Amino acid sequence: MIQSTATAAEVRDRADPGKVLADRVAELYRQLPIAITATFLAACIATYELRAPLFESLLWIWWGIVVIFSAVAIGLIWSYHRSADRQTGAERWLNRIGILAFANGAAWGLAGAVFFPSLSGEEHVFLAFLFAGMTSLGIPIYAVSWRIFAAYAAGIVAPFIFALAQTGKQLYIEVAFLAPVFYAVNVAIAYRLTQVFEAGYRLRHAYGRLTEDYSVLNQRLQGQLVELGEARRQVEASGRKLTLFAERSPIVVIELTPEGSVTQVNHAAEILFGYAADELKGASVKRLVRPEYHADFDRQWAEMVSTRQPATGLRIRTPRRDGIDLVCEWTVTPLVNTEGGLIAVIAQGRDITAQLEADRMKKEFTSTLSHELRTPLTSIIGSLQLVNSGVLGDIDKDVADLTQVAERNGQRLLDLINDILDIEKIESGKLTLAPEAIRIDEMVRESMVLNKGFADRFKVRLELSGADAGHSVNADRKRLLQVMTNLLSNAAKFSPEGGAVEVAISEAGANLRIAVHDRGPGIPESFRSRMFGRFTQADSATTRQKGGTGLGLAICKRLIEMMEGHIGFEDRAGGGSTFWFELPRHKA
Amino acid sequence: MPERPLIRICYVEDDEDIQRIVRLSLERVGKMTVEVVGDPTAAVDAMLKFKPDLVMLDWMMPVLDGPALFRVMKGRPETSGLPVVFITAKAGQRDMDELLAMGAAGTISKPFSPKDLPDQLRAIWAKLP
Repeated sequence: MIQSTATAAEVRDRADPGKVLADRVAELYRQLPIAITATFLAACIATYELRAPLFESLLWIWWGIVVIFSAVAIGLIWSYHRSADRQTGAERWLNRIGILAFANGAAWGLAGAVFFPSLSGEEHVFLAFLFAGMTSLGIPIYAVSWRIFAAYAAGIVAPFIFALAQTGKQLYIEVAFLAPVFYAVNVAIAYRLTQVFEAGYRLRHAYGRLTEDYSVLNQRLQGQLVELGEARRQVEASGRKLTLFAERSPIVVIELTPEGSVTQVNHAAEILFGYAADELKGASVKRLVRPEYHADFDRQWAEMVSTRQPATGLRIRTPRRDGIDLVCEWTVTPLVNTEGGLIAVIAQGRDITAQLEADRMKKEFTSTLSHELRTPLTSIIGSLQLVNSGVLGDIDKDVADLTQVAERNGQRLLDLINDILDIEKIESGKLTLAPEAIRIDEMVRESMVLNKGFADRFKVRLELSGADAGHSVNADRKRLLQVMTNLLSNAAKFSPEGGAVEVAISEAGANLRIAVHDRGPGIPESFRSRMFGRFTQADSATTRQKGGTGLGLAICKRLIEMMEGHIGFEDRAGGGSTFWFELPRHKA
Repeated sequence: MPERPLIRICYVEDDEDIQRIVRLSLERVGKMTVEVVGDPTAAVDAMLKFKPDLVMLDWMMPVLDGPALFRVMKGRPETSGLPVVFITAKAGQRDMDELLAMGAAGTISKPFSPKDLPDQLRAIWAKLP
């Protein structure tokens, strides 16, 4: 902004011209009292010297002019000092003083021209001397504006030249020719002085402005220094906080160079990997990766470095110092500066070895449940079914009762295992559905056929009402039948002997609604909120009497929701309950 | 649908209890003739001797499991044309689909009902070309 190499001329050019003019005008008004005093003194001397030859009346007129001039001049000075527009109206004040100066000069010149013919030769010399003096005196007074001086001097000299020329005397005519030269020289001097004054004022203003600029700059710098100090304190504070976060974090935090060597590790990393921070610092992070995965690691690292994209969920097998393998899950974040350059990489890791082991054990348990329990159950239930079916011949009634109890309970155990496996599959997200367009009335009829045997056991009829032909839903057939079986068997179990379970199909906006109505005891108030929870049955005595695992409705709810429907229940008018579900209609 | 009725079944299964139940079910309920083979490595020889209409294979068996035995059968011209039904406790739909894709005639999941087993087999038999 401000260059120290600026020349004086360049500095001068920065001055405000308006302010320079105002300064010059002020100087003129400062000099004006001298002009008044000089005019007055010269008038006194002239009156004294020339009082004899002059007409009394003319002299009085002339004095009148001098007094008026002085009064106007004093008035002008007075109003100038009182005015508020000395800066902005400088041009106007300059013009006023210009008119006054010209009038002053003209008063002298015209007086000279009027008096000249009636004066003697000696007196002419006096007058010429007086006028030359008055003209020269104008130079220091009006020097800040050569134009004003030029007007003032012209006012004196022009009428005087006229008077000289009128005399017809050769000497006077020669003087009349010399007077303009004298005038021109004086104006030239005034012009030069004006230039010098102007330059001086401009310099003064320019330097004033420089000083002003510097002080403003200084203030701004001071402000910025304060702000910088504050910012530094904040950065230091958040740096300390960040360090504390990393240091006290239970998660492993490692700072790496873009090349993959360790620059910083936290306490959790030391504890987990069994190395002191100083042992890890400076070395490649690949020490924490099993050698057989180095190639994979290099590839992923190169990808992260080239894309500058953070990565999450990276699982890396790490040999601990004592040789035991750990598996950590990492979040890797490249730190990129504003120019897009990679400065560092922050890796945050969590030990998931135990979690993976728990997952594996859970999977193993599920598999055990699925195979090892089901195989003996197959034998148990199969044997009992064969016995109970009568194909092996008739058996004693008491024995038959007991084998039926055994078969029923074997079946319950199998149902429970199947339900647990289902819930586990659904909750771990491993259950995949095979949706297809299913005619809803056909599906409902099929489910009623499948559950007729079960309903017969409770002496309950299954009835279909409002079968709406032709509508389809988009659902998994096997799983939908599972839901229907659950709802129908529940309804049959809780219906009074000889009663009916009614199944109704209806349209509900964009959905199809299947409702299963029973005339059972209804649902106790205290149980409603837990209706679709796991292992819930209103009365554990019914479990023993009628079977059921307490998982059926929980599975139904999850299955229906997976098929983008919803499920619910309500009291049925006239007693009993209604369980319903809705599924979005299949769009052909 | 084959013209003759389904009579002769060869069942390869290492679990003796299940062997017994299946034999009773097929013989008593289904009125079929059953040859049970407990050792899967001897199964092909047994089939050559018994000449079954249909073969039932257990999935999980020691030494040679059901799918492996199935592949051996496919490799022998005498057994490659026999319809094979798998009985498996692996309830997953994906496993079932995998078996059918391998050329199995059908699958029956454990636990099965001995009352219904003959009918299930006849239903699969009826669908054969």
